[in-house]
Amino acid sequence: MSGKMRILGSLVVIAIVAALGVFIVRGPGPLDFAGGTKVALADYRAGKPTGVPARLEKASLVERGEYLAKAADCMVCHTKPGEKDYAGGLAFKLPFGTLYSTNITPDKDTGIGNYTDQDFLNAVQHGKRRDGARLYPAMPYTSYTFMTDEDVLAVKAYLFSLPAVRAKAPDNTLSFPFNQRWAMMFWSAVFSPDTRFTPDTSKSPEWNRGAYLAEALAHCGECHTPRNLGFALDNRKKFAGAITAGWRAFNISSDKATGLGSWSDQDLISYLSLGHAPSHGSASGPMGEAVDHSFSQFAPEDISSIVAYLRSVPPQPSPDLPATTAPVAPASHRDGVTADARGKKVFASACASCHGWSGESPVSPMATLTGTWAVNDPAATNVAQIVISGTKRHTPDGALSMPAFGSAYTDDEIAAVANYVTARFGAKGSKLTAKDVAELREQTAE
Amino acid sequence: MATTLTINGQTKSFDAPPDMPLLWVLRDILGMTGTKFGCGIAQCGACTVHVDGKAVRSCVLPVSAVENRTVTTIEHVGSTPAGAKVQKAWLEAEVIQCGYCQSGQIMAAAALLAATPNPDDSDIDAAMAGNICRCGTYVRIREAIKQAANGRQS
Repeated sequence: MSGKMRILGSLVVIAIVAALGVFIVRGPGPLDFAGGTKVALADYRAGKPTGVPARLEKASLVERGEYLAKAADCMVCHTKPGEKDYAGGLAFKLPFGTLYSTNITPDKDTGIGNYTDQDFLNAVQHGKRRDGARLYPAMPYTSYTFMTDEDVLAVKAYLFSLPAVRAKAPDNTLSFPFNQRWAMMFWSAVFSPDTRFTPDTSKSPEWNRGAYLAEALAHCGECHTPRNLGFALDNRKKFAGAITAGWRAFNISSDKATGLGSWSDQDLISYLSLGHAPSHGSASGPMGEAVDHSFSQFAPEDISSIVAYLRSVPPQPSPDLPATTAPVAPASHRDGVTADARGKKVFASACASCHGWSGESPVSPMATLTGTWAVNDPAATNVAQIVISGTKRHTPDGALSMPAFGSAYTDDEIAAVANYVTARFGAKGSKLTAKDVAELREQTAE
Repeated sequence: MATTLTINGQTKSFDAPPDMPLLWVLRDILGMTGTKFGCGIAQCGACTVHVDGKAVRSCVLPVSAVENRTVTTIEHVGSTPAGAKVQKAWLEAEVIQCGYCQSGQIMAAAALLAATPNPDDSDIDAAMAGNICRCGTYVRIREAIKQAANGRQS
């Protein structure tokens, strides 16, 4: 074999290994699990999976865009608490620096006022900014890429109908090599599906609508699917749950024990539209925001479609969670766990009056701890986070809130009360330390 | 929106938004000012009332959540056996200093005695830790609860 041939041979081998590596790391796409026959949207006759629900079919472009912008939950990330809607500046604390969301109001200097339709499509579907720079995938364009051009442009029309706000987001503080935006070109080439939604003819029209809503708009997987080596979604473990922004997004696969398999349709509908399902707890943290600003605005038939879709996602067990959640704790403080005297003290003075010693709230079912994943998670991540930042639920009967204790109690006290709460009301007590709590505080956005 | 509640054995009807805290209804709409506003976030206990016999913080309790449940306030707690004992002991032990937290303390103590007729220190801690007294009358509160429990005269 000549030298040239040997070099060529080596190159081919390297190329094959690299392609195989990419293939293995990337894994399946978000909808590959369904496995049915896909047809182009234009050729799908059974229903209309994209766009707005029937009641808005005749609405103006701006109104349709508003529905879709809420379904895609643009506002939560593009608004800094206390500042103007959509004016950006929310901080995302990542292990390698801080990213700030951008101003997407129609301001010409600091917002997207100069974006043409094509510029906007490039950003939302392909992760490309108007100046050609690459977006970081904190902006879930890898999900929005499934949106139709029509829907993306309706969102644009809605955003352009809003008042222009002059607000420049702080500069990102990412470390090398993550500050090299151009490198995202390669990331995107490997990890972005970069394709529009294609209906699956083997599934019902309801399923297809649910798939479009959950994957293209609501981007559930961005929090609920674990990430791979390249920080992209690992759809081999689709919806198996993950930690995002310091909160645990629980398993929403159809696993009976640790996913949604044993939730009734009514539980899921109630959780998505009100942020609460009896004996499953209330949405807080990032999911609370998703309910308040997005799911609670969905048409009932769209919520049902998402439920139909979620049901079809293959079960993925969460081995660290107990097979069954703990039953109601004893009514008296004397019975049940006695460990962590300090945690009990904090619980008695700050928590017991609303949550009760049994875990069943005397105030409202929304404050019942029994049966929730948060207290049954032996890592106590969300218990600590709710204690730190509090929570607020909006319901048709008004708001119910829990105050934030983050500045009232030390990390040590928060760890103690989280360990007490998980031991008393959950299946297995946590072992949080003050250091763990300090780290959880660091990870939350803002 | 018309709401009907059973408060202190009487049926009361009034107009209030469903998310109005029970405390506001008691004080501002029904004029029952014995229950006090302290922190507004269920952390001080001044607003404690009984709902179905249990001590709850009325400042965070939406009025819609207590329809079809029985509410008892400081104005009426003296007509319950435990409440009568607590009020008597309170006077005998001269518990009160400024008095602002005391209606909440008495409500919490009465709920404790109704459920646990002979509480020890740990029971008192578990039931009363969420009721704060800035005058620091805790020693007398504890003493009065024990007195009320065993009917002892000072």
